[in-house]
Amino acid sequence: MDGKTKYGFTLPALILIGIIVLFPIIYNLFMSMNSWFVASGKGPEWIGLKNYINLLDNPRFWNSLKVTFIFSLGTLTVEVVLGTMLALFLNREFKGKSIVKLIFLFPIAATPVAVSLIWGMMFNYDLGIINIIMQNLGMEPLLWLASPKIVIPALIITDTWQWTPLILLIVLASLESLPTDPFESAKVDGANIFQVIYHITLPLVRPAIVVAAMIRSIDAIKTFDMIYVMTQGGPDVASENLNLYIFQTGFSYFRMGAASSLAIVLFTLVLVINILLSVIRKTGAK
Amino acid sequence: MKKILYISLIVLLLSSPLWAGGNKETAGTDQPASVQGFDWQSQSGTTIKIMANKHPWVDIIEPKIAEFEAMTGIKVDLAIYPEDQFRTKRTVEMVSGASDVDVFMLMPGNSLAQYHQAGWVASLDEMMKSENLLWPEYDLDDIFSSALGAGVKDGNHYTIPILLETSLLAYNKEIFKKYGVSVPKTMEELEAAAKTIYEGSGGDIYGITLRGKKASATSQWVDFLHSFGGEWLVNGKSGLGTEEAIAATEYYGRLLRLYGPKSAPSNSWYESISIFMQGKAAMVYDASVFKPNYENPEKSAIAGKVGYATIPAGPAGAVPHVSNWALSIYENSKNKEAAWLFIQWATSKEIALEGLLAGIPSARDSAWNSDAFKQGDTTPEWTQASIDSYKIASPIWNPPVIPVGECRDAAGSAIVAAILGEDVRAASLAAEKVMNKVLDNQ
Repeated sequence: MDGKTKYGFTLPALILIGIIVLFPIIYNLFMSMNSWFVASGKGPEWIGLKNYINLLDNPRFWNSLKVTFIFSLGTLTVEVVLGTMLALFLNREFKGKSIVKLIFLFPIAATPVAVSLIWGMMFNYDLGIINIIMQNLGMEPLLWLASPKIVIPALIITDTWQWTPLILLIVLASLESLPTDPFESAKVDGANIFQVIYHITLPLVRPAIVVAAMIRSIDAIKTFDMIYVMTQGGPDVASENLNLYIFQTGFSYFRMGAASSLAIVLFTLVLVINILLSVIRKTGAK
Repeated sequence: MKKILYISLIVLLLSSPLWAGGNKETAGTDQPASVQGFDWQSQSGTTIKIMANKHPWVDIIEPKIAEFEAMTGIKVDLAIYPEDQFRTKRTVEMVSGASDVDVFMLMPGNSLAQYHQAGWVASLDEMMKSENLLWPEYDLDDIFSSALGAGVKDGNHYTIPILLETSLLAYNKEIFKKYGVSVPKTMEELEAAAKTIYEGSGGDIYGITLRGKKASATSQWVDFLHSFGGEWLVNGKSGLGTEEAIAATEYYGRLLRLYGPKSAPSNSWYESISIFMQGKAAMVYDASVFKPNYENPEKSAIAGKVGYATIPAGPAGAVPHVSNWALSIYENSKNKEAAWLFIQWATSKEIALEGLLAGIPSARDSAWNSDAFKQGDTTPEWTQASIDSYKIASPIWNPPVIPVGECRDAAGSAIVAAILGEDVRAASLAAEKVMNKVLDNQ
């Protein structure tokens, strides 16, 4: 086989990737430098970087970044800590282990929209079961989704319920495949359980945790369905993250150029965070 | 021999329904001359696609579509979406330029400016004048001119109204009686009534419930804006920061904050009227079309106990609004004639009356004046309040601009701030700034 034939074999794949991955990104970049108010019926008009400059003094954009950041950091922290703790707890032989693992799969398998509708009802101020339980326990009912202050914690709770099991399962799979020697020698040396977990288990499963965190962080940053169903970004814009704001700008306001520039910001954000996480993973491996 | 007798008897018995059916059919051909004169079958064999939103009117139409199909030979493909998704989907279909939609529902007060400028709606005037296409019994003059006129741009008709709605103050008579409250005539009385009931019940019954969810709240808030003397636009610029607008927004927010449901900022019409229908709120100010919900004993705990009134007067009088859903034909539709036949059937006198009997406020005079409606009217108070409201109403309920959604969201921010007890003046001025920026970038 000569040197050039091999390119022939990869060509179809390259063309396909070019069409479905590269082209939309480049077209989006191009659109983001246009002003295109679809509702006016006029075509796109080239305006250079004006869409990006407009973002700088757009309080709603900064608010959406803040919401994206708080929501993602909140879900990621709670889910990674909780998921890893549960995985450590479940990492032993006991009767019915496979059934317990199966039960933890249920939330992942459920449709996010259905989950959000049910949680939305449970958070209802007047009729929701959560407030009814809280009142029976003698607590004051909370406004949850109607309060700008606790709407994001309410969303984090919902997200945690659905996605902690994913972290749990990835970390548990990694735990189960660990070599047994280091643990045996630690036992011989008289290390207690916390020392074993901190100095041996966690460093060994670190790559798995980072991979799980990467998957979750991408998802959390671009969360749409759950927030759209539960609050539509409300009250006002208190839970409007970047992805929701893109949708509003593009499909409610029909400002396609501005929406494209927001999409580029989101794309960059996801890219940077993933580069950071993969650096963490590599330095950990050394 | 006996067997043959039995068989022939059974055959006779089985065939008797056929005879009966046959008789009916012969009777059926004896139709009024005018119907025979108009060729409903002229577009037979066509399929038309209709986009509708989940609206009580569609619930009336949907089961009857088979009748239209049998009468005309036109096949109807009806797609129904929840309102938010419907608006988005409809515009995306239009923008794509390749939609196969023929007829769609539209609120002219909300979208006609945009749809007209973008060239997405077809002018109906030629078909409205055509002898072959205008059903002689259709009677265009019977449609309220305010409703038909809402669909006019540059002298051409683009929409045919299916209903004409307004907003009414609905109140729970039992609660009013219990707390000795009479029907409020002014904004001061409204607040006093809400206060009396909320405080009298120890906070168990909300004085009033209104929409508080961002943009959706503006549809009723606008009547308070107008009644306080404010306007969406003042000299082509946003009027959200005027003293009148700030006073209206402050008042609206205060009603909900002090005497309304705690969940107000996340309530759209559905949540709001649900609270009223559970008997948890004494009053609701929302669209008149929700009467069938209030009066349906299966859905509502207060059916039969509801009274209706027009909006109480503010410093600038009592100014409700009228709005209407309508049907339009897509400019690029290839089946405009079939679509026009459908529109005439769907907005005919018969269907208008049937809708009104089911509580959908008709856009046709004949329906309101018909004996069938007057005799069977179980809520004459609602009828009277509706008619009174039509007389004093403003046709403006949305900002009369193209980027309607952005301006409504801007006003919605100020409303939410008012409900939450934040600085209303600052929020209104911020909303004004956002709206002016939007208007500059059309």
